[in-house]
Amino acid sequence: MASASGLRARLRAQPERALRGVSLRWTAVAGVFVVVAALLGLALGPVDLGVAAVAREVLSHVPFLGVESSFSATDDAILWELRAPRVALGLLVGAMLAAAGASYQGVFRNPLADPYLLGAAAGAGLGATVVIVNGLGGAGLDLRPVAAFAGAMLGVGIAYVLGSSVGGRQTATLILAGVTVASFLTALQTYVQQRSTDSVQEVYSWILGRLETSGWTDVLIVLPYVVVSAVVLLWHRRLLDVLAVGDDEAASLGVPVARVRLIVVAAATLGTAAAVAFSGLIAFVGIIVPHAIRLMVGTSYRAVLPLSLVFGAGFLVLMDLVSRTVVAPAQLPIGVITAFLGAPFFAVILRTTRTVGP
Amino acid sequence: MLSRPLAAALAVLLALVLSGCGGEDDTATPPATSSAAVETTSVPAEFPVTVEADNGALTLDEEPDAIVSLSATATESLFAIGAGEQVIAVDDQSNHPADAPVTELSGFEPNVEAIAGYEPDLVIAAYDPGGLVDGLEKLDIPVLLQDAAPDLDAAYEQIETLGEATGNVEGAETIVESMRIEIEELAGSVPGAAGATVYHELGPDFFSATSETFVGSVYELFGLVNIADAAAGADAGGYPQLTGEYIVSESPDLIVLADTRCCDQTAATVSGRPGWDQIEAVQNGDIVETDDDIASRWGPRTVMFVEQIAESLAGIGRP
Amino acid sequence: MTALAAARVGVALDGARVVDGLGMELEEGGWLGLIGPNGAGKTTFLRAVAGLVPYEGSISLAGDEVASLGRRELARRVAVVPQLPVIPPDTSVLEYVVLGRTPHLGYTGSPGPRDVTAARSALARLDAAQLAERRLGSLSGGERQRAVLARAVAQDAGLLLLDEPTSALDVGAQQQVLELVASLRADRGLTVLSAMHDLTHAGQYADRLLLMDGGREVAAGLPHEVLTEQLVARHYGAEVRILADEETGIAVVPLRPGVKAREPVS
Repeated sequence: MASASGLRARLRAQPERALRGVSLRWTAVAGVFVVVAALLGLALGPVDLGVAAVAREVLSHVPFLGVESSFSATDDAILWELRAPRVALGLLVGAMLAAAGASYQGVFRNPLADPYLLGAAAGAGLGATVVIVNGLGGAGLDLRPVAAFAGAMLGVGIAYVLGSSVGGRQTATLILAGVTVASFLTALQTYVQQRSTDSVQEVYSWILGRLETSGWTDVLIVLPYVVVSAVVLLWHRRLLDVLAVGDDEAASLGVPVARVRLIVVAAATLGTAAAVAFSGLIAFVGIIVPHAIRLMVGTSYRAVLPLSLVFGAGFLVLMDLVSRTVVAPAQLPIGVITAFLGAPFFAVILRTTRTVGP
Repeated sequence: MLSRPLAAALAVLLALVLSGCGGEDDTATPPATSSAAVETTSVPAEFPVTVEADNGALTLDEEPDAIVSLSATATESLFAIGAGEQVIAVDDQSNHPADAPVTELSGFEPNVEAIAGYEPDLVIAAYDPGGLVDGLEKLDIPVLLQDAAPDLDAAYEQIETLGEATGNVEGAETIVESMRIEIEELAGSVPGAAGATVYHELGPDFFSATSETFVGSVYELFGLVNIADAAAGADAGGYPQLTGEYIVSESPDLIVLADTRCCDQTAATVSGRPGWDQIEAVQNGDIVETDDDIASRWGPRTVMFVEQIAESLAGIGRP
Repeated sequence: MTALAAARVGVALDGARVVDGLGMELEEGGWLGLIGPNGAGKTTFLRAVAGLVPYEGSISLAGDEVASLGRRELARRVAVVPQLPVIPPDTSVLEYVVLGRTPHLGYTGSPGPRDVTAARSALARLDAAQLAERRLGSLSGGERQRAVLARAVAQDAGLLLLDEPTSALDVGAQQQVLELVASLRADRGLTVLSAMHDLTHAGQYADRLLLMDGGREVAAGLPHEVLTEQLVARHYGAEVRILADEETGIAVVPLRPGVKAREPVS
């Protein structure tokens, strides 16, 4: 029994090292990444404010540093009323889409699941299109976000009801229901859009996504949804790990599987709907970011979820920076940029994924 | 040698055949039985005629009187030059003039069969989606394609072409001449505005139009500098999407809103946008709310658009 | 002390009665082997005990009806080793075994040092400590089965349900796994209910057997009472010889009459 004492020694030596969620190292890397991305987003843009000047302006708001800003009133307006809210919205939307994507992947045990899987995107697109085509709302009352939000929630709700009523193996039927609902709503959206061709451009522009804001109010509206959703998702990250062994085994380990799935889907959809309501449909973030994180830190959601949140925020801000500088002073729809990156990224994923059977 | 009775019979037969060939509007027949069309021209139109269009040369043997217009601009032009009586159907976007025979035909999603159902002898379109031109040509229906004109001269040419094709040459010349004179006058009425900057807004997400476009060429008339030109490379058609930042930083002297009907934008909503209070045009109230249709077409009502611009420029003087 | 008791249990799936009128009793620390041909309802009965399918009749754990126990409470008392466990390939063995601690954590709780220690000691108990940092996808069949068993052990439940624990294992791994279960039973007092397709193993390891066919009990009792050539012939349609001696224990040998040691064809 010589091995027993050796074992005991080893047990004492490394009690919980392997089980910490996010290592200190990755927390630091994530933090630095998002801060740098945000600063770059503030400093650069189609209008050259001068990086040093931006830095002085930002620091001048920090008390006791005594830094003076050299900004004119116009520059000030550009930085604080146009660029900063845009960066803030990018952080919120990026974080939300990445976290929602990771959550969907965990709950459906499917690496291609994204926040739009159950019809959130199709529903949002339909809602926005209906508003745009019918010219609903009026001066100062932009109904597109409301309609998009309602559409997203409705789309997922219908998919959920449809999937649950069929029963059977839950995740597969839910995904099928989601695909069905999404296809139908997309067809409906296309039909509505075609009936009014002079608004086609506006519809496409909304669908391809952009982070142009109407100022801080947009950010403040999205903020509570994203915060609530992120908190709920983060709470459930360990349960996502348990769900990885399948519904039956997770149930026999004491997890209320159907309830957890409903809560996670509801939270992820709520946050996604709010984000999408203002940003339009930005594809791939929900897939690119979680997968990149998995390649770096492994598959446990205790690490993947929080890191996706933070990296997603920085990632989208950088994508937005590209979309507004690459053909400046014109801007490209951000959905184009993320999709453009997404395809080669998938190629990389395919090459590095190891396929091991059960 | 033919016998006399046979020769006489042949002569009569020949005369009958010849007189039958000309059709209803045969110029060989006296104009006493001309149609009820109120033509401003007193001389008969010259047919057959060959005109140039964006789909090549088109030859019309006779004056068309069953015209279908799938282009809102062409509709306006047709009625202005006096061809209104010859028009039997216009597309669902042709909302001017009010008495144009609007149908459910679509200029963007045309249905060749539906168009053919009207038995037109001339179709005018501004776009050729889904093989419209090919489809009509297969059915032997003459079609004139008149794309969006890049500038005023091209617009005038299009009106003149319509005059030739419809037998309203003089009517077209009159319209074009009056447009030319009025526009020149208006363009010259605000010399102090030359060099001022303008931002033309197509939508609240900052889609604009460069000088390559028709509306852009109108601004060029006044010597205005179009802030969208810096982004000209971004969109082949001349309609790039700008950013709020850029617009605020350029601080244009004049803002023209072409999204008042589609998207409910007004001087008030624009002034309320965060950061926009820094813009010259907002501070001075130089925001023009145009009618979306007038600003997007290149027909006779262009004069109204030019007028609106000239009026708003009157307040912007540059020493 | 009765660990598990079932009476008049029925389970209907898609309209068909897969288990019908089943009854049994398993005392604490005992090992009952469920045997029977494919489709006899063995797995379904196990799932009913695990609370994964609704059932008629009564299934009680130490007097408490399974249907009335909450999911977490049930998981604290019953550990399941499924026939085809889902193996996430990139998860480490240690993380996988720690999943077994889930019933003891709060809803959003995280595993603490005590849970990790429990997981490591479960691995050690199964002679698999060296596998802790390995990826599940890199394990052999036998090693994987130990990891799954370790997870069940980490659950600290009194009743262990095994569904065909030796299918897909080679003969050596089969023996090792069953020996491990036997030793767990010996020093932890685990109660074991297992569905088994290998009749020899069933006879060698289980205290008592229950033969099912068509969802019903056909025979129950000590191995030599249930494993008879007639019963095997009638319910499996197989010809066997039952051997019992000191060295092999009970052995069920499939017969192929007329084939002696083969001569190579020259």
